[in-house]
Amino acid sequence: MSAPVLPLNSRGKLASSLPAEQLAEISQLFEFRRTGYSLDAPFYTDPTIFKIDMEAIFGQHWIFAGSVAELPEPGDYITVDYGPYSLIVLRNDDGGVNVLHNVCRHRGARVLTEAAGSTGNLVCGYHSWTYSAEGNLIHASAPGEAKFDKNCFALKRAHSREVAGLIFVCIADEPPTDFDETSKIFEPYLAPHDLSKTKIAYQQNIIEEGNWKLVMENNRECYHCDGHPELACSLFPTWGLTEGLIPAHLEEVWDRNKEAQSSLEERCRRYGLPYEVVEELDTRIAGIRISRESLDGEGESFSADGRRLSKKLLGDLPDFRLGRCSMHLQPNSWFHFLGDHVITFGVFPINEHQSLVRTTWLVADDAVEGVDYDLEKLTYTWKQTNLQDKAFVELCQQGAGSPAYEPGPYMKSEYQVEAFINWYVQRVQEHLA
Amino acid sequence: MIELLTETAIQEPQRIRGLEMPWNRVMGSTEAPARAARALGPWHPQEFMAECVETVPEAGGLMTFVFRRCDGAPLAFRAGQYVNVAFPVNGEDKEPVDRSYSLSSSPTEPWTFSISVKRDGGGLVSPWVHENVKPGTVLEMLGPVGAFHLPDADRRARYLLLAAGAGITPIMSMVRTIHSLPGHADVVVLYHGAEAGGFAFHQELAYIASVDSRVKVFYSLGDRSKPEGWEGLSGRLTAAMLDEVAPDANGRQVYACGPEGYLNTATELLKKVGVDDTSIYMEFFTGDRQTLLEYQAELAHAADIAEEIAEEIADSAEDYFESQPTAFGLYEPGYDAEGTLKAGGLPLETVDADAAGPEALDGGSDTEPETASPDASSFDTVGTGSLTLSFMRTGINVRIDPTEHILGAAQRAGVRIGANCKEGMCGSCKVVKLSGEVEMNHQGGIRAREIDAGKFLPCCSTARTDMVIDA
Repeated sequence: MSAPVLPLNSRGKLASSLPAEQLAEISQLFEFRRTGYSLDAPFYTDPTIFKIDMEAIFGQHWIFAGSVAELPEPGDYITVDYGPYSLIVLRNDDGGVNVLHNVCRHRGARVLTEAAGSTGNLVCGYHSWTYSAEGNLIHASAPGEAKFDKNCFALKRAHSREVAGLIFVCIADEPPTDFDETSKIFEPYLAPHDLSKTKIAYQQNIIEEGNWKLVMENNRECYHCDGHPELACSLFPTWGLTEGLIPAHLEEVWDRNKEAQSSLEERCRRYGLPYEVVEELDTRIAGIRISRESLDGEGESFSADGRRLSKKLLGDLPDFRLGRCSMHLQPNSWFHFLGDHVITFGVFPINEHQSLVRTTWLVADDAVEGVDYDLEKLTYTWKQTNLQDKAFVELCQQGAGSPAYEPGPYMKSEYQVEAFINWYVQRVQEHLA
Repeated sequence: MIELLTETAIQEPQRIRGLEMPWNRVMGSTEAPARAARALGPWHPQEFMAECVETVPEAGGLMTFVFRRCDGAPLAFRAGQYVNVAFPVNGEDKEPVDRSYSLSSSPTEPWTFSISVKRDGGGLVSPWVHENVKPGTVLEMLGPVGAFHLPDADRRARYLLLAAGAGITPIMSMVRTIHSLPGHADVVVLYHGAEAGGFAFHQELAYIASVDSRVKVFYSLGDRSKPEGWEGLSGRLTAAMLDEVAPDANGRQVYACGPEGYLNTATELLKKVGVDDTSIYMEFFTGDRQTLLEYQAELAHAADIAEEIAEEIADSAEDYFESQPTAFGLYEPGYDAEGTLKAGGLPLETVDADAAGPEALDGGSDTEPETASPDASSFDTVGTGSLTLSFMRTGINVRIDPTEHILGAAQRAGVRIGANCKEGMCGSCKVVKLSGEVEMNHQGGIRAREIDAGKFLPCCSTARTDMVIDA
C-alpha cells in the first residue's frame, strides 16, 4: 500500500486526492452500475461520491445559473452556490456576463454575500479588497508592502454563455465544446418568448432533503404524476407514455391529448414555431430534451382550466394557446416556456443529502401584478407541485439510507430517468478515466 | 396607351416595436415648441362650435360630415371616441336635439374631423342632418367622449376589429389612425354588411389593405343571398368565421362596434375562440334603454368636465395649458387602469434589435429627492471655508473649501463615514445627499443608478454648493 502520488498541478482536486483503493472502489460502482435500474445507495448518500459529482459534473459541465430577468442592468448580479463553489454572475457594462469565483484572493472570504443585488466595483467586506467588475484587484490598502503586486490577485474567472436569455456557467478550464451545438437546438424554440422583455414575478428557493440526482430523476418522469393533482389539470398525465402503454383509466385523456397536440402543431406551423421533439439526453455531452407540447383544457397555461395566468403575451407571440415548450438540460435544469409566462428550475446541490431547487416565474416586463396577473394564481400549480416533488424526493433519500434498499427497475415510462443516469455515469467515468 | 405595371417584390418595411400615439411624445416633452402642441393631446371634453366644411356621400346610406372648430383649434381625441352634437332639428330658436356620433376621421389629422351619419328613414335626426348640414353649417358640440378607443401605447398592437353596418365608423377611425402611424401592428378587420353595395369606406379600406401590410380586411354579407361575383365571406358572425379570419384571435385585443344583437353574439363567440373577456371592448350603436342611459351618464359627466375646463381656461389659460398632462387617464380603458402605458410611452426600439435598452414603462425616475430638509440651523458649525455641509444624522455643520474632498472634512469633524480606498473605487463611503451639488471623480465605486437616486462618494467629491447630507 502506498500513498497516491499527487502531481503538483492537482492541488485542491478531490478525486485525485482520494486514496487509491477508495477511488478504485468508486470506479467499480460506476463500472458495474446495472443498466435500467436505479443507482446503488452510495450514489445518493456517500460524501465522497458527492465530491466526485461536484468535480466531474458540476466542475466540468455547463450549469444553468439564472436568466437575464435576474440581472437586467449593468452591475446587477446573482450569487450562485453549489457544492463547495460560490460564483458571482454579474452583468457588465458591455451588456455581457462576467462569472467570477466568489472567493476573495486575500483570505478567501465571500466577496458578495447577498443572493442578488447591484454593485459597482466588488468590495470584500473583510479587508475591503476591491475588484473591478472584470475581477481585477484594483485596490488593497498595503501600508509598507514593498513587493505586493495587485496584478497577481484577480478574482478567478469562469466561463459564461447567454442563450435566448438563459445564463449558463462553466468553471472548467476548458468547457465542453458541444454546448454550442446544443444551444443551436434550443435557441429557436425559446427565442420567440423573448426573455429579455420579462421580469421576475416570483422566485422560490426550497431545500430538498435529497441528493441532487434524486431531484433530477424525479423530474424526468411523470409515472408519479397521480401525485400532482393541481398539475394534472393542465399537464396531460400521459406524459412520457406512448401508444400501447396507455392504462385503461387514461385512454380518454390520451385521446384528448392527441387531439390537442395536433391542433397545437397546426398553430406552431402557422406561426413558424418549432415543436418537434429533440431528445439527446445521453447521446451528447450537453444532454437535452426539448419539445412543444399541448396542455389540457384551454391549452394556454398551468391553471385549473388551462387559461392564461398573465394577460400580457411574451415577446411577439401572437397567440396564448401555445401549450408549453419544455426543455430538460443535463445536469441541473428544466424549463416551461408558455405564451404568458416562463418558469425556470435550477437544481444546486448543497451536499450529498441536500439540494437547493430554485424556481423562477417570469412574466412580460410590462405585466402589472394585480392587473395582468394574480401572483397567487400564477404560482399556485407549481408551488404545490414543487412541494409534492420535494416530499417524493425525500422519501427516496430516506430509502436510499436504509440497509434494505436495493436498486429497482425503471419502467418504460421512465426511460428519461435511465437516460439521465446513463448520461451521469458516462460523464463521471470519462472524468475518472 | 396604358403602360402595364409589373409587380415587384418589395421587402417588408423596417419598423419600431408597437404603436404609439403621437401625443405621448408631445405630452412628455419639456421643449417649448412641443409644449405648445399640447393642444393635440387627448384632453378633457369641451363644448365648442364647429363648422361643416365638406359632405361626402358614402355607400350604405352614410354621409360623412367634415368639420373644423370655429376657434381654429385642432380637435384632440382618441380613435374610437365620439362627440355629442346639438342639432337644431326644430329650428334655430327651438331646443336642439342631441345625438352622439363616433368620429370616423383619425386624430392624427386633427385640424378637421368627421362624423359619418347613417340615414335612418324613420328617424327624427339623421334625415334632417343629411338634408340640412352643409358646408357653412355651424353646430354646437361636446367632446370627445368615450372609453372605447385604442390605447395610447401598445407594444403588441395586435387587433381584431369587428364592425357591423354603421358600426364601421369608429373602427374606420382606428384603421385610419393605425395606417397613419409608423410601428408594428397586426390588424384584422371583419366587416358585416347587409348588401354587397352597402359597405361604407370599402374603397378606402381596400386601398389601405393593399398598401399597408399590417392591415387585412374581410367582408361578410349577413345572411342574405349573395350576388354574382361576390368574393367576400357570407353569413352572420360564427366561431368558424372568426377562426378563419383571425386564427390567432386568442392573442388579440378585440374592438367591436355594431347593433346590440350582433355584439351579444360576438361576445359569446369570442369566448368560444378563446378571447379573454378583458381583451374585448365594445361600443353599442343602437342600444336598449340601459346602454342609452349609460351614454347619458357619460355625456353628463363630460358636460360637467367641459364646464369646469371652460372656467379654468377663462381664469388662466396659461396655467391650464401647462397642466395638460394631468388630463390623461380620464377615459382610459379598464385594462389600463393602473397606467401601465403612461404618457411616457414606448421606448424607441426596432423589433429586431436584440440589445434593446430597459423599458421605462413604469414611469421612469421614482426617486424624488426629499424636498423638506430638516433644520440644521441649531447644529454646531466647525471649520472654515465658503460652503456649509450639514450632516443631518451627526447633527453638525462643517465649513469647507470648494477644492477640499468632502470625506476628509467630514471625518475630521467627527462624522462617521466608513471609507477604505479613498479613490472612488470601493464605494464604502457611499452616502445620500439630501440637497446641494457635488463634483465627483469616481472610479467605478458607484453606479449611475445610485447617483440618480441621490448617492455620492464623499472621498472623491468636492462641494459646489452648500449641501445637506444624510450622515
